[in-house]
Order: sequence, then structure tokens, then C-alpha cells
Amino acid sequence: MAIFGRNGISRRTVLRGVLAGGASVIIPLPRLGGMLNGNGTAYANGTPLPVRFGFWFFGNGIIPSRWVPNATGVGSAWTLSEELAPLLEVKPWLSVVTGMDVKVPDSAAHASFPACALSGANNGQKTMLLPSIDQVVAQLIGGGTTFPTGIPIGIGNSSGGTALGDIMSFSGVNQPNPPYFSPTTVFQKLVQFASTSSPTPPDPELLRRQMVLDAVTTEANALRAKLGTEDQQRLDRHLQGIQQLQTQIMRAQGPKVNGTLVDPDKAYPNRGTDGSLTRARCQAFNELLVFALSTDLTRIFGYTFTPPASFQSYADCGLGTGGFHGDYGHRQSPKGPAYATAGMNTGVRFAMTNLADLLTSMKNTPDGASTLLDNAVVYTTSCTSESQTHSPLDFPLLVSGKGGGKLKGDQHIRLVGDNTTKVLYSIYQLFGGTAPTFGLAEGQVSSGVPELLA
Amino acid sequence: MWVPKKIANWTLCGSLATACTGYIGDSGSSGGASPGAPGSPGAPGSPGAPGAPSPSPPVTGPAALLNLPATPIPTTGLHKLTAWEFANSLQDLLGSGVPLAPVEADTYINGFATVGASSVSISPAGVGTYESILGDATAYAFADATHAAAVLSCVPQSTTDPCVTQAIQAFGRRAFRRPLTTDETQLFVNLATSIGNQSGSGVLVGMRHAIWAILQSPQFLYRVELGAPSSADNGRVKYSSWEMASRLAATLWASVPDDTLLDAASQDALSTGADAVTQAQRMIADPRAHRSLAAFSDQLFDAFALSQADKDPMMYPAYTPTLRAAMLTEVELRMDDLVFTRKADYLTLFNSTSTFANQELAKFYGVPFTATDGAFHPVDLGAGTPRVGILGAAAILAGHAHAQLTSPTLRGKFVDNMLLCRTIPPPPPGVPPLPSTAPPGSTVRQILTAHRSAPVCAACHTLMDPLGFGMENFDSSGQYRTTDNGRPIDATGALDGVAFGDLADLGKAVMNNPVTGTCLVSNMYENALGRAPVAVDANELNALANQFSAAGNHVDQLLINLVGNDGFRFVTPM
Repeated sequence: MAIFGRNGISRRTVLRGVLAGGASVIIPLPRLGGMLNGNGTAYANGTPLPVRFGFWFFGNGIIPSRWVPNATGVGSAWTLSEELAPLLEVKPWLSVVTGMDVKVPDSAAHASFPACALSGANNGQKTMLLPSIDQVVAQLIGGGTTFPTGIPIGIGNSSGGTALGDIMSFSGVNQPNPPYFSPTTVFQKLVQFASTSSPTPPDPELLRRQMVLDAVTTEANALRAKLGTEDQQRLDRHLQGIQQLQTQIMRAQGPKVNGTLVDPDKAYPNRGTDGSLTRARCQAFNELLVFALSTDLTRIFGYTFTPPASFQSYADCGLGTGGFHGDYGHRQSPKGPAYATAGMNTGVRFAMTNLADLLTSMKNTPDGASTLLDNAVVYTTSCTSESQTHSPLDFPLLVSGKGGGKLKGDQHIRLVGDNTTKVLYSIYQLFGGTAPTFGLAEGQVSSGVPELLA
Repeated sequence: MWVPKKIANWTLCGSLATACTGYIGDSGSSGGASPGAPGSPGAPGSPGAPGAPSPSPPVTGPAALLNLPATPIPTTGLHKLTAWEFANSLQDLLGSGVPLAPVEADTYINGFATVGASSVSISPAGVGTYESILGDATAYAFADATHAAAVLSCVPQSTTDPCVTQAIQAFGRRAFRRPLTTDETQLFVNLATSIGNQSGSGVLVGMRHAIWAILQSPQFLYRVELGAPSSADNGRVKYSSWEMASRLAATLWASVPDDTLLDAASQDALSTGADAVTQAQRMIADPRAHRSLAAFSDQLFDAFALSQADKDPMMYPAYTPTLRAAMLTEVELRMDDLVFTRKADYLTLFNSTSTFANQELAKFYGVPFTATDGAFHPVDLGAGTPRVGILGAAAILAGHAHAQLTSPTLRGKFVDNMLLCRTIPPPPPGVPPLPSTAPPGSTVRQILTAHRSAPVCAACHTLMDPLGFGMENFDSSGQYRTTDNGRPIDATGALDGVAFGDLADLGKAVMNNPVTGTCLVSNMYENALGRAPVAVDANELNALANQFSAAGNHVDQLLINLVGNDGFRFVTPM
């Protein structure tokens, strides 16, 4: 069982301390400003700043004719399309890849295609058959952080009941990572690592929680020997969760991270209920994610704006209370197809507006001598291309960020008929992956998209 | 009781007119390229591969109508507690007032979270959620000695009190559904005493943390039921008496066993079918049985769909959150009344007009109602009501419809899948888009009829839409109507050649269909075993189905027979 990836605790500074209960522990330090070199371009020991990764998923697809930019090329050679226009401020960090197709059969509408777009393989029964790209990258770079498998975020929770439901992140077969729909919950998880105005006394309860989890680990290991392979894998994941929790408890007792953590209940009190689709909810989560990423509490996130085939109400962008999937995705609004098409366009632009909010926040967040967006890769896709026809053709694919200088950005690449998994493979390789192929069956590829790279 | 439910919604693709271009249905109601693929490390390029089909004789008898697949039986022995099993277990172990919060959502396969619970794992974040919830729960349970006395078999006065060991053993036996081993006892006693001896602590603090550890253990959060070869049964892999106690409690109470059940297990008195039946007869008379039936009812009648079924408030102002909750309660009470109070024939559920309502639901249904206490009371919708049988329940009608329009496809799919145990094949890859050819102003039925004019779409929709047409006299919110888009409703259709003219006729057709009773047997079997029935289960299903029909289709008796059945008692049926 690999709990940490290759960049494990051993690479990190550790603190040996003595807790209130007298136990000697090792506390891996979170990233501190003082650990960077003089010009802020790397850690003091020369290790490069980490590159973060996340996917940003939105359901119900696009209108290709309004999504695909008119011209290809780099910089001034291309301009944003109507549906991508909200991303203007981050255009220099944006690579739009069009023309590619999801190659797996549509064996489960709104599930086959997003599964493949996120993992390179068709979906299984209520699961992906391969880990989603966030978890693949987490294995490569997440080790040693406080949340090594990342922070899964969900905004809209009207799933449409597809074979994936509202879960877009999987660590493997039957290993879902359900998103947090409550920013309050995420805040509570993060606040224990944030600096406070006054030092807090040692809490004996933290040590007791460690002791409890030690006992649980002992108990779980005793059970493991009795199980078959499949059940062992399930238990291993449970043990992985316990170990992550223990790390978090240890770090809650150590030095705090620098950074501004915004309490969503104070800053966004009227953001809407958990599971509702509002820009304020996205912004509340954006603040939390940017904090967690910039302080290196995590390097991974999965952001589900709306799940596949979402019936979510898009009232926050003026589309009334009908379900988006039917009224707009399938153009079945009682107000007629023209209204429905305009609404679909509005909905996609609303999605991109919220993506732009996150990317802009990352752009405005210093990270060493550059910005968080410079040191990140954000992959964006959907569950279909043209939702009215469930098209796998000309699939929506965006790669944002500069990947620590490895991504070119500010370009429109058109690769008609090519395999969408190639984008995943490029991301995988960017983060150090060395497998000769990526994906399964029709989704599998053995090369990436070199045009993405700087 | 609200149970989240994730039955496949395979008319998503279509909602209406384009329903055929994608996910219309699947053998497991969730779709996928490789249904039932076993777990795998999930590394790129190394997915689990489905096992090879096992040979089995042709299925005969009632089970022949179920089209059981000849796939192998999964070998998993860990059953994650569903959200409601976790909640019930905590309440039974720590008291009914224990604070609860949502755990990681269940995964529904074939409409049953109990099936998903046999294969899914808990995420790292989910593990943290359990720690937090159980921390709050144990803090409540050990708030003072009075609270602790209600949880523990004895309340220790010091960390050296022998009661520490005794209480941990007693609690651990219930939580783990078997006695703690010597090592386990020592582990948790050491935890209790070491924490209890800390400065500023005390024995109850130590006990609270030991209980916290027990409840966080996978041996509580998962039912561990592995079975072992039984020489008395020709080497078949059989569940032990302890495992049977676990299975009985999960199936009949959706919770942990009580001491009576565990005492029987300690005497190996749950090793025969007759033993299980004896216990089941006791357990089914216990109030806890109502909880498990409600959970089954919620899964069978797709409570999750209702939970997701938001409506356009401009069109359906009566469809409030409280009304939606009442709709679900109505179905649960209707089932509970049928099974436990009236002990009536299951099939009468499809033509009965007796139900339950509170004030808001009664107003929605337009039925006289005088009580003002906010509670549910029996009501009869009366002769001549169009809302006949369970198919007329607003929970089903609203749960399987869109925000503004009805969906005969969704409604028909529900009847097909959950009540008739029929699977709709997935559409062939690459089905081309089909724009609706129905003119503006058409009824939903007319739109769907136009859609089915394409043979590639008709193949699937013909199996679903006609059943849903029988429910067209009820709008998206479940309210009765006589017109759609200004045109008269046509609610005619046919089920297996039996014509119907309205919902009442459709209910009769379902009631009289030869598979309906057997389908319920199959669904209960699936829910109890946590896996889909396959061909080698045919003999067990036939035995249960024959018993069920011969005795008048009584669900309480079906539950009792089920737990005495070899399919329940052995890992693999004969």
C-alpha cells in the first residue's frame, strides 16, 4: 500500500516535538515562507516550487459553434469565442484544445464521455475503471502534503442520476472521492492549520485522537489478513484515510501556515444552500482552495461545478427555475428552441465566468516569485460536447496555468479527430508520469499534445 | 425516513425527445462499459477484469421470468454500513438522542445502496467524516456517568476497575457483532486506561475514547461476513452463527444485533435455517423492523429520485419541501401498513385506495381531512378516484418526472426496473441524434410517439414509454390533470399484451403480471444479500417465490423465509 508518492515525507522538513501527553512525534512541516530561497523561486534547498493540479468540470456540454475560437495560433493570433469570452483576464494562461473526440462508446449517456475525458477509459458500474486524472497526478505529487489526495469540491448537486452521479473523482475502481458541498466543512478542516493571532495552548485531545487512530490502525491491520484481495484494497483505502487523518492531527499541533483563510460564513453569508449553484458559493470555495494550494496544504483538487447531465437550476445567471439539462441542454424549454439555445449559451458562459473567478484568484495569488496560476495546471472538461445530441466530437478541453513554466498558454490548438486522452497524457507526463500509455481500449493513447508545452 | 437513492435515470439523455441517443438503461441500472468489474488497484492500464461466466443449468420456474445473468457471485465479504444502517446502529448503541450528521453518500447499484455497499470503499475524506461524527456521538454518550450508564454494561469507577474490561467486551461484542478477541480486548482496555490515567482525564474519558476507537474500526463500519467451508454441508462456504447474527440484524433491523441474538450466536444456535427463522419471527415483531422496511421501501420506490426532483415553482407552487417529504412518508407508511398492520397481499398495493396523509398531502390529493395535528392519518381516496394503487402515489409520479414536464419514459422505466425486474438494454454505440418531429403544441405523448418512429430508438422506448403513458393523468408534481398542453390526455397503453386505459388499469396489469410477486422476492433477496441475483440463485429464488405466492404474498413472511433460505445462509447457493 503506497500511502505517499515519491515526494514523500522524507523530502520534507520535519519537526520533532514533544506533545502534551509526553509522546515523541514527528511533525512534517507545512510550507512556510521562510523555507524559500532568496528570490522566492524555489525552496531554500533548491527544490522547485510545487506545481499544483486540479480539474474543473461542468456538466451538460457546450455549443461547439459558440465555443470553438475562430482562429488557431498563439497570443494575438487567436481570440476567445463567445462562450469562452469570460476567460479574457486569464487568456495568457489558457490553452484551448478543440477538434478532439472522446473515442470510447457511449454506453452510458453523460457517463462514458466524462469518465473518459477524466480518466482515459469508459465508466463502469457506478465507478470509473481507471483513476481520474486528479488522483493519477496525486500519486505523483501529492505525497507529503496535508491532503495528499486533494480536496474535492462540488457546487451544484443535482446529479441527473447518471452512472457517475455527482462524483467525478475516483482513486480506482469503486473508489469514489465524493465532493464537499459545504464550504463551511472545508473551512473547518483548513482552519486548524491557519495562523491565528494568538498562540493556542497544546490540546491534549489531539494526542488522544492520535492514540485512538493508532488503535484503529492496529485493529484494521488484524482484519486485513483475513480478507480477499478486493476487500484488502478497500481496507487499504480506509487505512490510507486514517493515515491522512493522523498526519492532519499532527500538523494541527505544529507550526501554522501563512496565508489568508477566509471564513465563508462571514464573507459569503448569503451564498445559497449547500448544493445550490451560485457564483458566491464558487467564490467561497475558490478562497478556500487558493489558500490550501498556496500554502501547500494540498496540491490537488477536483472541482465539480455541476455534475454530468445536471438538472440544476441556473437561476443565479437568470435562467429561471427549470432544470438546465432538459430545458437548455436538450433545448426543451417551454419557451421554445431559440430561447433554449440562448439559455444554453448563457449557462456555458456562466460556467466559464466561475472558472475565470478561480483562475483569476490563482493569478492574483503570489507563489514565490510568480503566481499560483503560473505554478498550476487546471484541466477543464464536460460530459459531452453538443449536449442536445450527446456528441463526443469536438469535445470541450481547456488547459489553464503555466505548469511551473512547462505550459505555453495563450493558444488555440485544433486537432480534428484526435483522441481527447492525449491531453490527459500530456498532463500526466508534465507531472513526471512515465508509463508508455494512458487510458484503456478506445480511450488509450501513447502520445500527448506537444503543442501544449512551452 | 429519507433514504438517498441513486437509481439510474436513463432518460436523462432525453428527457423526452432525444432519449434514445444515449443512456437508456442498462442491466445494472447504472450503465458502464464493464458492469460488475471487480476492484483493482486502479493504476492506469490495469482495471479489474470481469470474471468469466460460470456454467449453470437453464433457469426454470418463477425465476425464469427474471432473466438472471450467468455471472459469478462476487467474493466480497465486507459490507459497508449504509448511511441509515450507520445511523440506526449508533442510535442502538449510544442512545436515540445521539447527534448524527451525514456520512459519505451511499453508492446505489441496481437501485440498492446495500449492493453498492458491498463493493465501494470509503474515501480518505470520508474516514475523516466518520471520525468527526463519532467524536461528537461519543462525547454525547459520555457526557456524564448517567449517560455512560445507558451505554455501558457497567460504569467503571477507576481505570483499575474490572468493569473497564467487562464494559469494553460487552460493547465491542455488539459493535463488532462478535466477541472481541483477547488482543482486541487488550488493545481497547489499554487505550481506555492510558487515556484515563492522563492528567486531567479520568476513566470515563478513557472509556469514551475506547468506544470511539471501536466505532471507528472497519470492523464496525463494515459488516465482516466471510463464511467458512462447512463439512456438514459438503464443504459449502457457510456463514457462522456470529455472521448470521450480523446478517439478521442488518436485514431485519438495519442495525447491529441485540444481546439475545448474540447470545444465540454464542451457543451456535443460528447455524440452521430453522434457527434463523426462529430469531426472525422474534425480530420482525420488534419496532426496529419498521426501520429496515422503510429503508427497503425507500429504495424500492426510488426515494432518491424524489429527493432530486425539483419542480418549477411557478408551475407547481404546491410542491413545497414539506409536501415532498410528506409524499415520501406516505409511501413508507403505506408499505408499513401493508406488511405489519394489515399483513395484506403485496399485490393489493397496486389497486388499493387506502393510504396515509397529513394535512398538506390530503389537500394536494383533494381528500377530506379533519385532523390538524400535523400527523399522518389513514385516508381512503374513495371509489372512483383516479389515484389508484401505489403507482398513484405522488412520490412516484413526481419523482419520475422533469421540472416542468412529465416523463412517461422515466415513469415506465421505474415500473420496468423496480416492479417488474426488467432491464432495458443500453443503446447501441453511435446512435445518431433524432430531432423531434412533433409539431409545437404537442402533448408529451405525441412528442414521444414521434421520437419512437425511429426504429433504433423504438427498441428501447417501446419497453418504457407505454407504461408511463398510463400515468399521464398526473402532472410533473403528481397532481391529477385531464389535459396536457391543452389537449385531452390519452392514458392508454399495454403491458405484455394487457391493454389499459388509465392508471387504475395499469395498476391491475402490474398486479396481475406473473413476474410482479417474484420481482419483489428478487429485490428483497438482492437487498438482503447485497448483490444482484444471478443464475445460480434460481433455485433459492424459486423456493422463496413459490412460498410467497402460495401463502398469499405476505411480505413479513417473505422476510422470515428469506433469512432461513440457503441463499442467505451460504456464500454460494447450491
